[in-house]
Amino acid sequence: HPWLASPEEEGYLSLENICISRPYEVDIDQNSQTDPGEEETSCSEKEDDIDDATLVQSNHHELHYCDFHIVYSYTFRVPVLYLRAYCSDGRPLLLDEIEKELPACSSKESPETKWAFITQEEHPYLKRPWYKLHPCGTSEFMKLLFLGGDTGQPKLEVVLELYLLSWFSAVGQVVGLRIPCKMLNDRR
Amino acid sequence: MAKEGSGSILQFAPFQSSVDEGFWHRLSSLKLNKFGIDDSPIPISGFFAPCSHPQVSNYLTLLAESLPSDSNEESSIPAFNRGNRNRCSVPGILYNTNTMESFHGLDKQGLLKAEAKKIWEDIHSGKVLEDSAVLSRFLLISFADLKKWSFHYWFAFPALILDPPATLVDLRPASQWFTLEEAESVSTACNEWRNSSVTADVPFFLVSVGSDSRAAVRHLKDWETCQDDGQKLLFAFYDPCHLPNNPGWPLRNFLAFICARWNLKTVHFLCYRENRGFADLSLSLVGEALITISQGWREHQCVPNAVGWELNKGRKVPRCINLAKSMDPTRLAISAADLNLKLMRWRALPSLNLDILFSIKCLLLGAGTLGCQVARMLMAWGVRKITLVDNGRVAMSNPLRQSLYTLDDCLNGGDFKATAAVRSLQRIFPAVVAEGVVMAIPMPGHPVSSQEENSVLEDCRRLNDLIGSHDVIFLLTDTRESRWLPTLLCANTNKITITAALGFDSFLVMRHGPGPFNSTPDLKVEMPNSLSDVLDNLALTNTDGKQRLGCYFCNDVVAPTDSTSNRTLDQQCTVTRPGLAPIASALAVELLVGILHHPYGIFAEAEIANSNNGGSSELPLGILPHQIRGSLPHFQQMTLVGHSSNSCTACCSTVVSEYRKRGMQFILQAINHPTFLEDLTGLTELMRSANTFQLDWDDEIEDADDECIEL
Repeated sequence: HPWLASPEEEGYLSLENICISRPYEVDIDQNSQTDPGEEETSCSEKEDDIDDATLVQSNHHELHYCDFHIVYSYTFRVPVLYLRAYCSDGRPLLLDEIEKELPACSSKESPETKWAFITQEEHPYLKRPWYKLHPCGTSEFMKLLFLGGDTGQPKLEVVLELYLLSWFSAVGQVVGLRIPCKMLNDRR
Repeated sequence: MAKEGSGSILQFAPFQSSVDEGFWHRLSSLKLNKFGIDDSPIPISGFFAPCSHPQVSNYLTLLAESLPSDSNEESSIPAFNRGNRNRCSVPGILYNTNTMESFHGLDKQGLLKAEAKKIWEDIHSGKVLEDSAVLSRFLLISFADLKKWSFHYWFAFPALILDPPATLVDLRPASQWFTLEEAESVSTACNEWRNSSVTADVPFFLVSVGSDSRAAVRHLKDWETCQDDGQKLLFAFYDPCHLPNNPGWPLRNFLAFICARWNLKTVHFLCYRENRGFADLSLSLVGEALITISQGWREHQCVPNAVGWELNKGRKVPRCINLAKSMDPTRLAISAADLNLKLMRWRALPSLNLDILFSIKCLLLGAGTLGCQVARMLMAWGVRKITLVDNGRVAMSNPLRQSLYTLDDCLNGGDFKATAAVRSLQRIFPAVVAEGVVMAIPMPGHPVSSQEENSVLEDCRRLNDLIGSHDVIFLLTDTRESRWLPTLLCANTNKITITAALGFDSFLVMRHGPGPFNSTPDLKVEMPNSLSDVLDNLALTNTDGKQRLGCYFCNDVVAPTDSTSNRTLDQQCTVTRPGLAPIASALAVELLVGILHHPYGIFAEAEIANSNNGGSSELPLGILPHQIRGSLPHFQQMTLVGHSSNSCTACCSTVVSEYRKRGMQFILQAINHPTFLEDLTGLTELMRSANTFQLDWDDEIEDADDECIEL
């Protein structure tokens, strides 16, 4: 799935439509609460809306998708990972539903681990509520990443280049995104 | 697998819809800002792309961009959306109704026919040759309930019915139909088509393969030029469906077009599908269909019937989506408020008990300088249930010091404070459950005439009920005597009681100790359940009250009496340095939070700052004092302890049991004859034996220079 540059001037990185769950059969009854007020009235009784040429499928696969954006935060001066998830028909997923799919949260540790605090806030460009990984721990662990090496003080240019990759290697784990090794090796 | 055998009806997999949240956001915005009640149909665009995954079909998607812009400068007709390789743009129309009844009352059959007719027209006029995406024109009906933020909707993908239906002669993966060389050439040609921005979003096209195995992709309008030299010619389309045995829905109208336009009886078609962005000929299908044209098709005027209403999990009902959690401002405010507290818990205070704060019910007696500030502080801590009691009206001088009021509340004689305060709280945080009670608190030393007796008793009962139905009571009134009755009632029921009182430049904030009797009707909020066992073993409250922490009156040697009449003007108006009320209110609320997090709650012992016994700094919020007395002139604050007195006019066992025995009659007696309380508790005796003291009591508050009292 390719990374797309967004069309805004001040942009953000986006990665969209990532499928985060396996297809599974959905029992019609258990989904009834997601359609509140499902009406009893059906389409016109007179005509048959399904003709012989229409394939009727009996199983309904429910898949969950996730969009990820990386946006720079001026307040915290670090990149921040925004995410939102939704079903195949577009219905947005709530945090507790998303947490079931994300690896860091499905682990035995409590979801509010040291780095993974997910909060709901307005997306700075789209002006709609998205979930984000709260950035207040970011500068701490970035310092750890950069000072932890035994190669002495890295050059500033190298640091800047590697910054986003390093940041993402930590943050991406929370949501199950990994950097392909090829990208890391290409840096040399 | 190849599907052989003539005569089997060609079955198409229906389109599936997917509506991005942003679409509903923009529709709401358009409804509210532009369209109002105008329910004319709205032209919209849908987006789809060829299937890109062997196990998952693609959808027809609606995004925010599907709708016209909601900004005021641009026109409300969208320019036909230019797509890209990931988003093939398809025209559609939206009928959004204003009520649920009109939603159900729409003539679905008629609407479907109208859209089918448009497709039919486009087929015959040649529009399809210019812009083939119109073959997949769709229809959407909806009802946006902007009060509940729920959206009811129903898609239709009109498909012209072939009568009799087309039959399938053969269907197999494209890789099995082409030779290896041909397949390679076809893939290359298709990938070029997909990579060019001019053609990437053209969903219907021709694939011709020459005898030299070279393939070419052409526009539909070039069909005539492809007719020669024994080429293989396939009618190709972007197929969103992934199924191995069925083509996707767009083929329906494509076949209708082919047979109406070019009168073909046999059609070879290519269901074009991809994997990871490249043509995938094992996923793509090639098929051969037989079409029998009925008479009616030659006549342009006769529009064929159509099907296409989308099923909802197999049922012929509309879909509904509720977006309150992401659109309702109140819900967003709630989750933002929660965020702050959760952040605090995450970063600084892992043992913060947010549940108790969200569920506790606070009663504030007094909605003045202290009441307003306490209410705000409580909300900041996540408290949602607040009741304010005050019988006064907002005066012109109030807004400056009483932070919930503004000038508007003072007009026309001034609103009742209790009501105005609740309004203000709701404006700050709509999810607060706030109630205002306009009521005076009966006070000793203010005797009542016999006509007023009944209403005073009624007030007493009402106060008693209020106290009974809340977990925490704040005494924030402006006289000492008005605190007496609430103190007694709280002592009787062991409610957490916090007093704040102001002098000119000093303040007192204290928590009352528990009442003299152990029976606690409702402690489930102050203490976790396991503590009731602990308490049974821990005789923290004795009937002689020796160990209990004191209440506001425990240190008094006179009963509360009328402090307001016969005073000079400046003594009648409570005049205090403005900084005191916010300080005292804030401390009062922080004290409460400390109590709520203390394992013993109301029974917690008092701690003093800098105590020698090591203090309880294992409690994350710090120590839990009994009294805090502050002085502004010295910018100083002291934590003090005062134990309960056996002669307390409000909380000693004598008084409380007398109240339990005689109820309201007792109260009335105390109100009308304050010396009665002194006699009852033995204070009269005490006074006689203490006549050598020269006491100068300020009737408003305890003198800030009182020494620490420790028994």
